[in-house]
Amino acid sequence: MRYASLFWEYIKNYAKTRLTYRADFWIEVISDLLFQGMNLIFILIVFQHTASLGGWSELEVVFVYGFFMIPYGIFGTLFSIWNFSERYIVKGEMDRVLTRPAHSLFQVLFENVDPQSLIGSLVGAGIMAYCWGQMGLPFSFMDLVMLFLFIIGAVLIYAGLYTALNAISFYSDAPTGIVPLMYNIQNYGRYPVNIYNKIIRFMLTWLLPFAFVGVIPASYFLEQKSDDLSQLALLTPVMGLIVFGLGLAFWNHGVKRYRGAGS
Amino acid sequence: MLAIDVKDLRKEFRVQKNREGLSGALKDLFKREYREVRAVKDISFQIPQGEICGYIGENGAGKSTTIKMLTGILVPTAGELKVNGYVPYKDREKFVNGIGVVFGQRSQLWWDIGVIESFQLLRKVYRVPEADFRKRLNNLVERLELGDLLNRPVRKLSLGQRMRCELVASLLHNPSILFLDEPTIGLDIVVKTEIRDFLMQMNREEGTTILLTTHDLQDIEALCSRVIMLDDGRVIYDGGLDELKTKWSKGREIQFQFANQTPIAKLKQLTEGINVGWTIENDVTAKLFVPHEVSVSEAMARVVGGADIRDIKIFETNTDEIVRGIYQSGSADVAKKEVATS
Repeated sequence: MRYASLFWEYIKNYAKTRLTYRADFWIEVISDLLFQGMNLIFILIVFQHTASLGGWSELEVVFVYGFFMIPYGIFGTLFSIWNFSERYIVKGEMDRVLTRPAHSLFQVLFENVDPQSLIGSLVGAGIMAYCWGQMGLPFSFMDLVMLFLFIIGAVLIYAGLYTALNAISFYSDAPTGIVPLMYNIQNYGRYPVNIYNKIIRFMLTWLLPFAFVGVIPASYFLEQKSDDLSQLALLTPVMGLIVFGLGLAFWNHGVKRYRGAGS
Repeated sequence: MLAIDVKDLRKEFRVQKNREGLSGALKDLFKREYREVRAVKDISFQIPQGEICGYIGENGAGKSTTIKMLTGILVPTAGELKVNGYVPYKDREKFVNGIGVVFGQRSQLWWDIGVIESFQLLRKVYRVPEADFRKRLNNLVERLELGDLLNRPVRKLSLGQRMRCELVASLLHNPSILFLDEPTIGLDIVVKTEIRDFLMQMNREEGTTILLTTHDLQDIEALCSRVIMLDDGRVIYDGGLDELKTKWSKGREIQFQFANQTPIAKLKQLTEGINVGWTIENDVTAKLFVPHEVSVSEAMARVVGGADIRDIKIFETNTDEIVRGIYQSGSADVAKKEVATS
């Protein structure tokens, strides 16, 4: 609860500083949406050549994409720490963070909060609702509860992986190009994982569980498929807790190795 | 009660050895060599509550590393430390509620927002009740004369203004220990004095323990009753400032201005038998160096008795010179004896 109120304070500060640069704000929103739009168009083009992708129809794949956009937008809001290693480790700003009475990870996240990414979540929810109606899927209150749980689980998975990824900076002086690598891998999770070979599928499900951010929880709401990914869907919140727990532990251990920048 | 208790504190860093040239860089790619650098070498000291203690030493002596361990930023390699009753790196979040930290070279405030907004945010982070916060802030603002700065963004402040704001920021939660790492670096003499007076007053009225590192020995002279001197990761002196002066200053100088030309031979004759040295400045002025073992009054009496004198000035060796002497001679040898006997 305390962190929720702290988060709100930081958001207010963000608003004070960033909203004054109005043009900048809208350019970022638009470029964000264009990026997402490109991905969507890619899906649409693929489906001009084939009626189904591994047993998934066009609407279903778009539905999955819509679902994916919701946790991704929330994640983008919280984890806008692309320059973590540069700013906090190399320049030593972690010093300041560590002299304040709140968890170091949350301070770093809140300082870099980027709420405009939430617009992507709204668009995603719109896409999802549209596909939902087009497919004529049943809708109940329970679905809303499950959706909420899945979104939290998916955000936690993303958060855990990126926490761990950023924590590598505590261990290694020069962080490697692992962030872009991860960024590319995560895109695979938006498509039905059964179109990939077994190794990639296993990796996306259990090692870097990006499938749990898109296709697995989304399939819960869709018609059952032969490979039945939806059975795994209920594991999404559990996976979220496990992945975030591991990421946080890795971070906490890393902080103890922080060595500061020269005096 | 002890505010800070440090025993055999040690910090080692693993540093990568970079080999020379392109071929060296290629070799480094596959096989890295590391060496351990010991920045702080088993130091021990204790600081009671309410003391202002100066922590001095050359660049790279290990001052900042010690401060960072004391404030919970770095985890020590070995040794015990207790600050304010906590082991800093273990209960970090609880511990930092009771301390204030100012790093002179690094801002604690948010760059883009108004100073007062930064303070408000800190209030939330430290969970200070609104009423206490107001009272404290008004008091600090008044004492440091910040009134009209509060609504300006930090990036528009001058260094002196920023530094005063940093001080306020570190004190809003009413800490009982204040760590200052080069708080007066780059400031003009007016702001320096203001900050010193402020710290003095706070120490006197609220009993705040202060540990400060600095390269400006006037800070030390104005504030500190005690000095800890560090050289190459070891404590080479721990004690009062006056003691430091008497121990390391070699003596005093007395400048005489004579009524008429006085040859050096005559002066030497006057002080025959006592261990002093003369230097001639010009025809009518000369300087007499008096080591500590010789009493000043005796030396003066002899000269006054034998020459016609217009003016006398006595120069104490100032702290700057003493400390420069210690740094240069790397008097760790002298100091080791010191530590052994104490």
